[in-house]
Amino acid sequence: MTNIETSVQFVDSANDFHKINANETSVSIKDVTVSFKGSKGTFTAIKDISLDIKKGEIVALIGHSGCGKSTLMNTISGMVSPSKGEVLANGNTVKGPGPDRGIVFQNYSLLPWLTVYKNIYEAVDSVFKDKTSIEKHELVEENLKMVNLTQHKDKLPGQLSGGMKQRVAIARAFAINPSILLLDEPFGALDALTKGSMHIELLKLWNLDNRNKTIVMVTHDIEEAIFLSDRVVVMNNGPEATIKKIVDINLPRPRNKKDIAHDPEYIRIHDELLTLLFDKFSIED
Amino acid sequence: MIKKSAISIAYFLGSMAILIGLWQLISVITKAEIPSPVSTWAVFKELMAEPFYDRGPNDKGIGNNLFSSIGRVFTGFLLGSIIAIPMGMLMGASKIGMSLLNPIVQILKPVSPLAWFPLGLLAFKDSGGATIFIIAITSLWPTVINTAFGVSSIPQDHKNVGKAFGFSRWKYLTKIVIPYAMPHIFTGLRLSIGIAWVVIVAGEMLSGGVGIGFFVWDSWNGLSLEKILVAILIIGGVGLLLDKGFNALQNLFSWEGK
Repeated sequence: MTNIETSVQFVDSANDFHKINANETSVSIKDVTVSFKGSKGTFTAIKDISLDIKKGEIVALIGHSGCGKSTLMNTISGMVSPSKGEVLANGNTVKGPGPDRGIVFQNYSLLPWLTVYKNIYEAVDSVFKDKTSIEKHELVEENLKMVNLTQHKDKLPGQLSGGMKQRVAIARAFAINPSILLLDEPFGALDALTKGSMHIELLKLWNLDNRNKTIVMVTHDIEEAIFLSDRVVVMNNGPEATIKKIVDINLPRPRNKKDIAHDPEYIRIHDELLTLLFDKFSIED
Repeated sequence: MIKKSAISIAYFLGSMAILIGLWQLISVITKAEIPSPVSTWAVFKELMAEPFYDRGPNDKGIGNNLFSSIGRVFTGFLLGSIIAIPMGMLMGASKIGMSLLNPIVQILKPVSPLAWFPLGLLAFKDSGGATIFIIAITSLWPTVINTAFGVSSIPQDHKNVGKAFGFSRWKYLTKIVIPYAMPHIFTGLRLSIGIAWVVIVAGEMLSGGVGIGFFVWDSWNGLSLEKILVAILIIGGVGLLLDKGFNALQNLFSWEGK
């Protein structure tokens, strides 16, 4: 076996790799209820949800629009506080957003008046206050290179395509080196082809980091959820949404976008998720 | 592009032709009590031949008067803006600030500049100071209101970036609030400088001394309607240039559409 093969084997050796840390819990959601007070009374988005996510695991939260999957994820990011229960991230109670959790927003959320470089730099500058400006500069450059945007670094977000904007948002989240990465419908606005290559890029970045980062993503795309995740959390429709079922995705890694579609296990999981998400599969004549 | 600007120049010339035509018509109807464009033009040339002469306190060239007015307008406008921008930010950023300050804005905004003049005289014991005071206090409101609107309308997406990456207050202010509000602030400043320029004539008519407003009043006392018309055209022209200038600044500092 050559060196190259060994390293490939090492990084891409199926699911076993991150099982080294399998006992470490990265995120622990404990009996969480989130209610919003509105003009029409209290609206409970999610109710009594408990979920443990292991370090290095990729978990997809899937469900219909408005089912509270984003709310659930926002309790991890700290953008939403639970009305009841608590969320632990790396063993600490989440009280607000923090640099241990990187967020990629649904609408990319780049600041339109800052260049690609500056968008990442300001995040890095904010999180790594002790680093020198040269170190921060290098960190930004490194992350730009990782998502192949070095040559576009002086552009403003308005001059980029959707896929490129998303890569900037991902680079920004990776640049602060969080142990937990939270993706809120990250590829929802992209066309199918761009989406496919972004999936591969995301897994590549995850691999480069030795699959140590925990990734939680919100999606409504079944194929995306299966291709990327170790577990898919299917949610009931809100209000008062709960977890309907957690489906394990026991497909070996590295996964191949083309081959996976023929894998009988993939087809079985796909069917199971479809059944969980839809009541009707055709119109009644 | 060239064709487009040629067309807009043609329209501008057409518009001027209508103005001069109406003016001529009025002049004919009033039997030259209102001077005609031609006789006004003659006086204009006369005034422009020596715009910066200085023969004592009440007899200065039109250029002297104009620049002294512009200086006063910018001083008042600058002082007003120094108050208006932070005040607008405070109102836009905090509900309490908005609730406390908005009634004050609503009450003081419609007050005529002339009503402020005696208070200015009392406070500054000097008509020059009083003029600057009334410019500041009447021109600051559009900047306050537009700044407040800009700051309060920052999209949640942008706020979330600050939250998610733990921006300090300073970074949040300089990298999110101010850049986002910039186009709105400039819209306010542009409206404010317009008001300041309207107010200066009234202010200087009361204050006397030197300035384009005083020049108008002095010409009325000297019964030179031609001079008044020249002054009106110059006031209009400078107003137009100020507006264009601020429009250019707005485009320069705005991220929108880039």
